[in-house]
Amino acid sequence: MRLEVQADNVVKRFGERELFSIQRLHLGEGERLHLSGENGAGKTTLMKILAGLDRPCEGQVRITPKARRWWSDRIHPAVIYLHQTPYLFAGSVEDNVSYGLKLRRCASEVRRKRTRDALTWARLDHLATQPAHSLSGGEKQRLALARAWILEPKLMFLDEPTANLDSHSVTTVAGLVEELVHTGTTVMISSHQENAVTALCTRRLSLAQGRLYETGFTDEAPYVQH
Amino acid sequence: METDLLATCMAALELLFSGDAELWTIIWVSFRVSMTAILIAAVPAILLGFVLAMVPFPGRWMVVAFFNALMSVPTVVVGLTLYLLLSRSGPFGDLHLLFTQPAMVVGQVLLCLPVLVCMSHAAFQGIDRRAWETARTLGASHWRALLTLTLEARFALLGAVLAGFGRIISEVGCSMMVGGNILSYTRNIPTAIALETSKGQFAQGVALGLVLLVLALTLNFVLASVRGKGQLV
Repeated sequence: MRLEVQADNVVKRFGERELFSIQRLHLGEGERLHLSGENGAGKTTLMKILAGLDRPCEGQVRITPKARRWWSDRIHPAVIYLHQTPYLFAGSVEDNVSYGLKLRRCASEVRRKRTRDALTWARLDHLATQPAHSLSGGEKQRLALARAWILEPKLMFLDEPTANLDSHSVTTVAGLVEELVHTGTTVMISSHQENAVTALCTRRLSLAQGRLYETGFTDEAPYVQH
Repeated sequence: METDLLATCMAALELLFSGDAELWTIIWVSFRVSMTAILIAAVPAILLGFVLAMVPFPGRWMVVAFFNALMSVPTVVVGLTLYLLLSRSGPFGDLHLLFTQPAMVVGQVLLCLPVLVCMSHAAFQGIDRRAWETARTLGASHWRALLTLTLEARFALLGAVLAGFGRIISEVGCSMMVGGNILSYTRNIPTAIALETSKGQFAQGVALGLVLLVLALTLNFVLASVRGKGQLV
């Protein structure tokens, strides 16, 4: 399934203040995008709008192929957004990892196997039965990635995935994101700093002064305003 | 005087542990009416608390203030209002609910609903919005995400239910007005205490008072331990 995102004339305002206005943004299959911008530029808000967790004041976001959920066509089942600081549900690590599969009514034996695979992928097998809240920052980030990986998303939005992590954790998270990317998952990573994770990206967008600029993608048009 | 007090307490304990039929019927009526009221009020109140916490709409602050104000309404005023509505000359007189257990249940629902709504609202307000967004992005429908948040707030919501129950199990004003204090039917613990004390029959009053005291202590103990668990999570 080729999943593509098209955002047209997306505007977001808070009261009288316009946060950003984006004429056009297209995310293609398998792309790795780095979204940079200063604090407060609107990176998180833009990603949440693209992920269907927030509504634009104007414009529209289309994800193709369309979702088939009867209760929402705004949040696509193949699109997952990860918070800068992941929220972990009360319960164990494996309870958190298997949350999405339980929603999909996966058979219990299949769910158990895939949960084990996800825990192994994220190097969290030894913490499976631990309370999720007892994990360190880096472990929580890996748990959030595993919770998403298990659902085989086609598009993931990673909001500052390495914020507040030490260098070792950054390297570990970067390794997991690289494995995700190699499965063909499109990723958009927001960060106001360059690091091992953003180094994986081949397309760079910058959100500044309410406009989205594309930098470093093609030689013909290094600065294209969106 | 002290001997009389001691004798009264001993008589009360004897009534309790001897299985006095009249006493235990009163206790049964109390628990049946209050448990029914809580079961009716809990789900709608939790849903309303969720909406008030998570769904912005015009005038939301007024609704919250309204329910906060309702918590302060004296129970006898609720009873009086209900009495006027259910009496023969009232708009619902034809339902013949006055001086029945269903009338007491309605009254106690009206009493515990504001407590449940306000405390549920506070419970959901205390939950990080990321919990809702995480549930939704991982595939939860609105109802499934609500269930997830309810589980996340389960200790605070249990506290709300216990607080609501505590408000109605010991209220006398509304029960007296719409129940009529009929023996073996609408006479519950608080109305029985009021009646027996007015008759000078202190033993039964003390026995029922002990039941309420033990219940109050138990509820508060459970509430405190639940809140403690909620803080540790």
